[in-house]
Amino acid sequence: MKPSVETHNLTVIYDKKPAIWNIDFTLPTGKIIGIMGPNGSGKSTLLKAIMGIIEPNIGYSKVFDQDLEDVRNKVSYVPQRQSVDWDFPASVWDVVAMGRYATKGLFKRLTKEDHRMIEESLSKVNMTPFTNRQISQLSGGQQQRVFLARALAQNADLYLMDEPFVGVDAATEQAIITLLKSMRDAGKTLLVVHHDLLTAQDYFEHMVLLNSRLVAEGPTSEVFTKDILTETYGGTLTTLSKVANVLQEKDFPMRHK
Amino acid sequence: MIDFWIILTASLVATTTAILGCFLIMRKMAMIGDAISHAVLPGIVIAYYISHSRASLPILVGAAASGMVVTYLIQFFNQKVKLQQDASIGISYTFLFAIGIILISLFSGNVDLDQDCVLYGEIAYVPLDHMSIAGHYAGPRQVWILGSTLIIILTSVIIAYRKLVLTTFDPAFASAMGISVVLWQYYLMAGVSLTTVVSFESVGAVLVIAFLSGPAATAFLLTKDFKKMIYLAVGFGISASILGYYTAVWLAGSIAGAIATVIGLQFAIAFIYIQFVRKAHISQTLENKALTEV
Ligand SMILES: Nc1ncnc2c1ncn2[C@@H]1O[C@H](COP(=O)(O)OP(=O)(O)OP(=O)(O)O)[C@@H](O)[C@H]1O
Ligand SMILES: [Mg+2]
Repeated sequence: MKPSVETHNLTVIYDKKPAIWNIDFTLPTGKIIGIMGPNGSGKSTLLKAIMGIIEPNIGYSKVFDQDLEDVRNKVSYVPQRQSVDWDFPASVWDVVAMGRYATKGLFKRLTKEDHRMIEESLSKVNMTPFTNRQISQLSGGQQQRVFLARALAQNADLYLMDEPFVGVDAATEQAIITLLKSMRDAGKTLLVVHHDLLTAQDYFEHMVLLNSRLVAEGPTSEVFTKDILTETYGGTLTTLSKVANVLQEKDFPMRHK
Repeated sequence: MIDFWIILTASLVATTTAILGCFLIMRKMAMIGDAISHAVLPGIVIAYYISHSRASLPILVGAAASGMVVTYLIQFFNQKVKLQQDASIGISYTFLFAIGIILISLFSGNVDLDQDCVLYGEIAYVPLDHMSIAGHYAGPRQVWILGSTLIIILTSVIIAYRKLVLTTFDPAFASAMGISVVLWQYYLMAGVSLTTVVSFESVGAVLVIAFLSGPAATAFLLTKDFKKMIYLAVGFGISASILGYYTAVWLAGSIAGAIATVIGLQFAIAFIYIQFVRKAHISQTLENKALTEV
């Protein structure tokens, strides 16, 4: 099977300080893959480097065994929600339509098929009632769903999502993860930056643990261990106890078997 | 006829600047016009020194070139030095303006030039400098220049509309699509430089700066659709030109001053209107709620 994303010695340095250092991995296709690590560990930077938004100082990455340039319209990037100005005068529909332009090019007119896909994407994230809403009048969770709908409209094979669960309530988070799982079942690959250790094992079948350098990468059952988590998050008391809690919960069902 | 030419001149400037102003406001770069108005000085002085003439073309080229230099500097300070946008704008244009002043004082022995005569055009004089084609009166020269500028800007914006909107709203997504954010930033700034420089010559810097930020800001208050915002901004710019002109005639005052004042008033009225609508809306909602709860 073709790998979804592979990186070779990928290194990005801002102001002399490396944000990611010598990242080397090959990720499988058709999985929901979590990218985890503490604040400032280079998760966003890694996604941006893979998407060519920032030039790596050293190393390179490939997507589906090809240069990104050749498969760009098969890849969708969902930036951190806070990275745009939501006061921009546009409607929900306008933003989701950008996803169609991304796949078909900027000069073509939107066809009936495009309209259908935009509507379908909106309905998948339960945003149909908000189609004509101004984006400045959305809640944080609704903004996040608009970004997801835009990504869905791209109909890509690989999705890179930067913290899609930040600022959404539990119900929305459940809805989003169900959606991601159905996308996975349709053969898509999803790379998701995530913060919550408690939900990580439920959401991801494969993980990348980052702390500027690559701490571990592999199936969740192999890499989501106390040692690796401690190495990723550092040995501070609070994180350590959090890790312990998480692992206890993880073992909990086993003891009853 | 004079009325017509002056209003037409102002409206041409208003239309071009309002279109660009909408993009600038959304990129938080509304003050770029102010920056460019100062930053073009060294280019103008150098162009004058080389060509020894006050003909428009070399001056325009010189001004546009320093317009691009200031754009580059702003980009450089913002992206590479990580300075905030407003600080980058401030430091870049004061630096270039200072160079311009130094150059003027260096050349002042033999150069008949000061920034007033290039930068601060006076709209009232526009009809005096007219053109003739094949011996026929063809209207003021400025109207031709500004008309061509409007066509250039309009075509450039229409051609690149989606790219400009995308790089303005979500640069990271645009860049993930393979669109060069920096390239389109320069594209837009080249348009702004051209427009500012050409317009300074005919209507003066103050009015250009007012036109670049005022109508777009007013339109932003009233709509949440970017295309409508552009149409509205153009409408406000043109109506301010007409109203301002007749106010100036009536009061026998400065035309540019009157137009700039109308632009300010438009914003104030829109602002008050929005507050009013919002209050009315809230009390309506409260009333409805009270009714349903009863
Ligand atoms: N544009 C930038 N210029 C300079 N340094 C940066 C820039 N962006 C990120 N950094 C630095 O690079 C490091 C990695 O940042 P990055 O945003 O990739 O982390 P992250 O893992 O996404 O963090 P978070 O969990 O807070 O989103 C941080 O130390 C950050 O300060
Ligand atoms: Mg991040």
